[in-house]
Amino acid sequence: MFSDLSAQREGSSLLCRPASEDQGPVFERTLLDYSPSTERYRVGERSFNRQYAHIYAARLMEMRPLLSETAKHKWGSDVQIRKLCDLETGEQCCIVGTLFKRMDLQPSILKEISEEHNLLPQPARTKYITEADELILEDELQRIKLEGKIDRDKCVTGSVIAIYGAEKNDGKFTVEDFCMADLPSQVPRPALSSDKFVLLASGLGLGSSQADNMLGLQLLVDMVTGQLGETREQSGAATISRVLLAGNLLSQNTQDKDASTKAKYLTKKTQAGSVEAMRLLDELLLQLVASVPVDVMPGQYDPTNYTLPQQPLHRCMFPLSSVYPTLQLVSNPYGAIIDGVRFLGTSGQNVCDIRKYSSMDSHLEILEETLRLRHLAPTAPDTLGCYPFYQRDPFIFEECPHVYFSGNAPVFESKLVEGSDGQEVLLITIPDFSSTQTACLVNLRTLQCEPVFFSAFSADEDEESEMNISH
Amino acid sequence: MEFKRRNGATFMGGASQAKRGKTTGEWEDSPSQFEEELSMFDDAEMEMDDMEGQPGHDVIPVGELFSADQNPRWRRPNAPSLDPSSDTLVFQQIDLDYYLGGSIAGMPGQSQGKVPIIRMFGVTDSGNSVCCHVHGFAPYFYVPAPNGFTSNYLGEFKRELNSVVLKDMRSNKDNISVTVLAVDICRKESMYGYHGQRSLDFLRITMAMPRLIAPAKRLLEQGFTFGPFPIQSYQAYEANIDFEIRFMVDSDVVGCCWIELPKGKYSVREEKSSANPVSQTPSKVSLCQYEVDVGWTDFISHPAEGEWQKITPLRVLSFDIECAGRKGIFPEPDKDPVIQIASMVQRQGETEPFIRTVFTLQSCASIVGSQILCFTQEKKLLQSWAEFLRTVDPDIITGYNIQNFDFPYLLNRAAALKVNLFPYLGRMRGVQSVLRESSFQSKQMGRRENKTINMEGRVQFDLLQILLRDYKLRSYTLNAVSFHFLQEQKEDVQHSIITDLQNGNEQTRRRLAVYCLKDAYLPLRLLQKLMCVINYMEMARVTGVPLTYLLSRGQQIKVVSQLLRQAMKQDLVMPVVRTEGGEDYTGATVIEPEKGYYSLPIATLDFSSLYPSIMMAHNLCYTTLLQKGSAEKLGLSPDDFIRTPTGDQFVKSSVRKGLLPEILENLLSARKRAKAELKKETDPFKKQVLDGRQLALKISANSVYGFTGAQVGKLPCLEISQSVTGFGRQMIEKTKQLVESNYTISNGYQADAKVVYGDTDSVMVKLGVTTVKEAMDIGRKAAEWVSSHFTPPIKLEFEKVYYPYLLINKKRYAGLYFSSSPDTHDKMDCKGIETVRRDNCPLVANLINTCLQMILIDRDPQGAVDHAKEVISDLLCNRIDISQLVITKELTRTAQEYTGKQAHVELAERMRKRDAGSAPNLGDRVPYVIIKATKGVAAYMKSEDPIYVLENNIPIDTQYYLEQQLSKPLLRIFEPILGETKAESVLLKGDHTRCKTVLTSKVGGLMAFAQKRSTCIGCKAVLKTDAAVCDFCKKKESELYQKEIFHLNMLEERFSRLWTQCQRCQGSLHEDVLCTSRDCPIFYMRKKVQKDLDDQSKLVSRFRW
Repeated sequence: MFSDLSAQREGSSLLCRPASEDQGPVFERTLLDYSPSTERYRVGERSFNRQYAHIYAARLMEMRPLLSETAKHKWGSDVQIRKLCDLETGEQCCIVGTLFKRMDLQPSILKEISEEHNLLPQPARTKYITEADELILEDELQRIKLEGKIDRDKCVTGSVIAIYGAEKNDGKFTVEDFCMADLPSQVPRPALSSDKFVLLASGLGLGSSQADNMLGLQLLVDMVTGQLGETREQSGAATISRVLLAGNLLSQNTQDKDASTKAKYLTKKTQAGSVEAMRLLDELLLQLVASVPVDVMPGQYDPTNYTLPQQPLHRCMFPLSSVYPTLQLVSNPYGAIIDGVRFLGTSGQNVCDIRKYSSMDSHLEILEETLRLRHLAPTAPDTLGCYPFYQRDPFIFEECPHVYFSGNAPVFESKLVEGSDGQEVLLITIPDFSSTQTACLVNLRTLQCEPVFFSAFSADEDEESEMNISH
Repeated sequence: MEFKRRNGATFMGGASQAKRGKTTGEWEDSPSQFEEELSMFDDAEMEMDDMEGQPGHDVIPVGELFSADQNPRWRRPNAPSLDPSSDTLVFQQIDLDYYLGGSIAGMPGQSQGKVPIIRMFGVTDSGNSVCCHVHGFAPYFYVPAPNGFTSNYLGEFKRELNSVVLKDMRSNKDNISVTVLAVDICRKESMYGYHGQRSLDFLRITMAMPRLIAPAKRLLEQGFTFGPFPIQSYQAYEANIDFEIRFMVDSDVVGCCWIELPKGKYSVREEKSSANPVSQTPSKVSLCQYEVDVGWTDFISHPAEGEWQKITPLRVLSFDIECAGRKGIFPEPDKDPVIQIASMVQRQGETEPFIRTVFTLQSCASIVGSQILCFTQEKKLLQSWAEFLRTVDPDIITGYNIQNFDFPYLLNRAAALKVNLFPYLGRMRGVQSVLRESSFQSKQMGRRENKTINMEGRVQFDLLQILLRDYKLRSYTLNAVSFHFLQEQKEDVQHSIITDLQNGNEQTRRRLAVYCLKDAYLPLRLLQKLMCVINYMEMARVTGVPLTYLLSRGQQIKVVSQLLRQAMKQDLVMPVVRTEGGEDYTGATVIEPEKGYYSLPIATLDFSSLYPSIMMAHNLCYTTLLQKGSAEKLGLSPDDFIRTPTGDQFVKSSVRKGLLPEILENLLSARKRAKAELKKETDPFKKQVLDGRQLALKISANSVYGFTGAQVGKLPCLEISQSVTGFGRQMIEKTKQLVESNYTISNGYQADAKVVYGDTDSVMVKLGVTTVKEAMDIGRKAAEWVSSHFTPPIKLEFEKVYYPYLLINKKRYAGLYFSSSPDTHDKMDCKGIETVRRDNCPLVANLINTCLQMILIDRDPQGAVDHAKEVISDLLCNRIDISQLVITKELTRTAQEYTGKQAHVELAERMRKRDAGSAPNLGDRVPYVIIKATKGVAAYMKSEDPIYVLENNIPIDTQYYLEQQLSKPLLRIFEPILGETKAESVLLKGDHTRCKTVLTSKVGGLMAFAQKRSTCIGCKAVLKTDAAVCDFCKKKESELYQKEIFHLNMLEERFSRLWTQCQRCQGSLHEDVLCTSRDCPIFYMRKKVQKDLDDQSKLVSRFRW
């Protein structure tokens, strides 16, 4: 499995002259028990004749019993749980519903295409929150404005929560307390006998013009395939039993937005901007898959569909690497059980979207928030594109993962979260590789996680780039 | 028109006379002769007399107008009791009319028979409603006294006139014995023409009733004899003045002014009590909280200045009704029930309504913040709503198209269901609200047929009517209007869905109620945003007419009101003239434009208020007009009068100051004051009030000129109007000559100035300087210097610089407008260019607009050409959003009634055959696109429903859009830039017109027999299987896939953004979007994206995994 180039003597250092023509030591790649659980995110026959109301309805239906349970737990079993239509002014009660935040700054396609307003392009913003935003709770039939003890700026549209308080005379609901569905139950993690690692990386950004990015990438490939470092390190590399690439394999530059707006007579002969980058990616993957199983998730800039769940990248774009059975083209979001450890995560669109529409800045904080909301992507479909599901909402957490990640974060962060029922979840924000040259390694035995830098030029990080994976 | 009026007259049940026969036009009252009209009026009035309700006496409705269980929140604040001997009553008058009633003891005026009584409705400072009966004022007119007339003959004259008028009456139901109340001699002068300040003896003839004026006038004109005087025709003066206006002028009341009844001068009416049935004082006949009687000379009218500018907390009610129509038929009041009525009540000056209610038929789930009243019987619903309206007692009623839809429907429905207590919607207890038809004609707006409903004491402020009057918009649906002014969309539910929602459960009805509430709310918001109430009140105050006149009458009445007020001060009387249409005079001048694209600053010099200032400068007025030859007759020296460019003569102000100049001076100085205050004012609300006022003043000033020029008007005077335009022309020419002779290189300027264009009141000058700042400086100086050559107050002002400037033709130009600062432009100004025209498809306006922006703002003519080419290419490749291609026309008549075949009518017929349920009904606007058809098919057959086109992949006739819609406007703006021949060859021919996408329709022709075969996505070779690519293209599969998946990706993004936008707009996440607003730019897009996405998904799925 290792490439035949690694011809070195046992115990010798890299700088030694090869002692003989013998085969060097062969490190057996640790193999894992792997079963993908992506069925949930597959959309077979796609139809766009439905509207988005159904996914909200399904979400609320599925979440209501969970929240009622939590609400009773929190505010006593005798708490009145009301629907909005049965609400009586002044009565203290609990309501379960979907949040909607009315926001003035929210980009509106209507304003963009409106003939009267096309003069003023809406300024690009990093955040769309203002003081004038209004928080509204909606159930199947009605909606009511919220005020009181609820952090308006932190909340996002689409979250299903339970609120406690009373309706005042003016038709607004004064919130005294609220709760979220919180962590679902968890299947215990099996005890592993040895350290095994999964390497997570995202935002490879192929097709951008930065050369050092390519060098970093090659270092990563060489490290994983055991062509880097001396034998000790190579044996360490052998314990990396799986690689997961969480989206944005291609750079944003490959998105040729013009192509769709430019007149046809000008673009007839052009090809998609991603073609060259895909070829590169195929070659890169070829090196990896020859040695290790790789899961490839698509991301925002990758050539697949736009709406979540993003369907796996098509095989036809990987003429070289797709020959290997080790190449797993998977969906985004993606879940898998790797040696009993349940992984779940996305390429980061869900987190980035919430960041724009709430006061939260840290990707890790947002990631935890979605876990507490028990929903991967609450802002879908409102501001995050999503398939118009019917009768189900696949983004609700069915069970609690052990590792919950999101890709394309500005920095690496991780945190171990414990639930009230003893759940243990490792949260990871996988940094964008093209800007940080960082990937991260998760130890399946200990659920510890650490970053690995592949920057060839940064002096500070030298020490760490001499990665040490055998703790 | 005549026929209509006769018909209308028979309708007029308990209508007050005031609202009768308002068929006045904007400028032209009607094409028929005024005289004939008057006699028509007579007949109509005579017939009507039989029908006329006697308010407060005969038609007291059976049953109570209020039921006991009314919500206390609805009522007006309690009115403290009023003691006329010690309390002063002050209120703001908002409506004014008159009725005929019995005289009341202690009040001035005639004591027997029916007398005209003026009724003022208003509201006090504390929000209590007032009805004030004003007694003792009688109508009158003047005729010149015959030669040799002395006061001795007055009695004889009166007797004789009385008897001929009585004889003239065909029936005399009221048993009128005295028609002429009084004849007096007074010294007056005719305002028409200068007669050397000679007052003459005039007879002032006071009649018993307003409607007797017309026959008396007619009889006097036809030839009248009395005593020793031979038969002769007497010309009538001021016999054509509305009674209300007569009263307002004489008592110095203006629209919406404050009225004060001093203590001891008035009496209060009490509720009728059974204990004292034969009281001396009459009991209350209105629903107002205070009802008082006062003599017409006993009240004080405060001019709207200082403290009296304030506005009372008027109650504004806005409502909307929903009816459950049957499939395919527009709701008919005799068959289809009214299922919901939503109402909102707001106090003027507050920001939110304080009452929100929905009356629903069948149960309805609650809506937070709104009161829901459910009824099982429609009859009860209507009755309760009428009670609600009477309890809330609104001063102003608004809504969208209530005048022509909601109110008529309610009244007809109530009649069909025999809800007898419904039609008492006014403030008079005994007066039914009755529906009438009226038509309204004007040059500005064309002819409109309207329905009117009398509602005494309440002002109907139909927002749609206001918008039609004051704004030029592409579409007038509530949705489009809301989006335009509030940037807010509303959900638009189709008629057919309404019935389904009603027949569902209480939740679906709730949904309907929410929709209905929003429709009631939006007019309030718009009214507020557009400052309609305030602006109209200011207009009423400035021009002195009642508020209701502003919406129901034309411009003339406003000028008449001002003219009379001014004339009265000088003892001038206004003749009734016979008007003859036809004769036309030369209009304003236009300096031939030097077409082209100017990349140099063009300074624009404007005569501010040109026509008013000409009239003031040269003292042009009826009273200063010298008839031919009268200058010599009156012995005027040449210094005493002027000769206008059209040869007419007017005396100078040193001889006599004209009325019109005086009116104009008042208006313009008031405007100046308002503008000065506006500059100082910081409070945004008051700022808007002042802005509204200065605008009203400006419009009023300009309408004076129009009044003199109105061929079929109250007092046309060709000499004035043609002189005004004559002076205008002269001044424009002179300005051109002055500017071009002074600003020359030889005088030390950078370049020779050149006037490139001039129109009516402005000249565009190319000064030859290169910066806006220089142009502004020179422009300012030039304006001042040129002004010095004209008589004040004529003033040439520097207003703006256009840079760059695209001069297309007469009245067609565009430019970047610099006024406030030389560094940044204020706006892009387009005149006469296809940016707002409604008979084009939106694509034209949008493309022209964008091109102009590129030419003017980005200074990138080449970019504009490229953009135009791209759009043309997109059009030919079927990539233009279909909403851009939709043409909309209203279906006003059925196909049989149209003389020629019309595209939208034919389409409506075809749609009815396909599905009667969704076909457009009479009154609906029919949107259509032009589709491709075989050669020779008539154009009107090529129209098709855009949705049907989308669903069935029907190809659009892109050539039609290119040739009929785009090419002319495009060539027009590009010809000055590219040159005439080049423009066409560059824009309409070339590469971009060669790449086309041809759709294959799913319907029609041979499509039913065709079989579809898959082709290779790469090379279009026909494939045997359904694979994506052929063997040859297999190696390019990745590339081809990426192109297609990218397209899919874009479509998905669009899909998700469009549909979530609709969810946000409808205000619900959990319910499907039902909206069918075809005005919404998203409507077709979201449909198209669904279809495109399904197609693209299928295509992509051919790439087997």
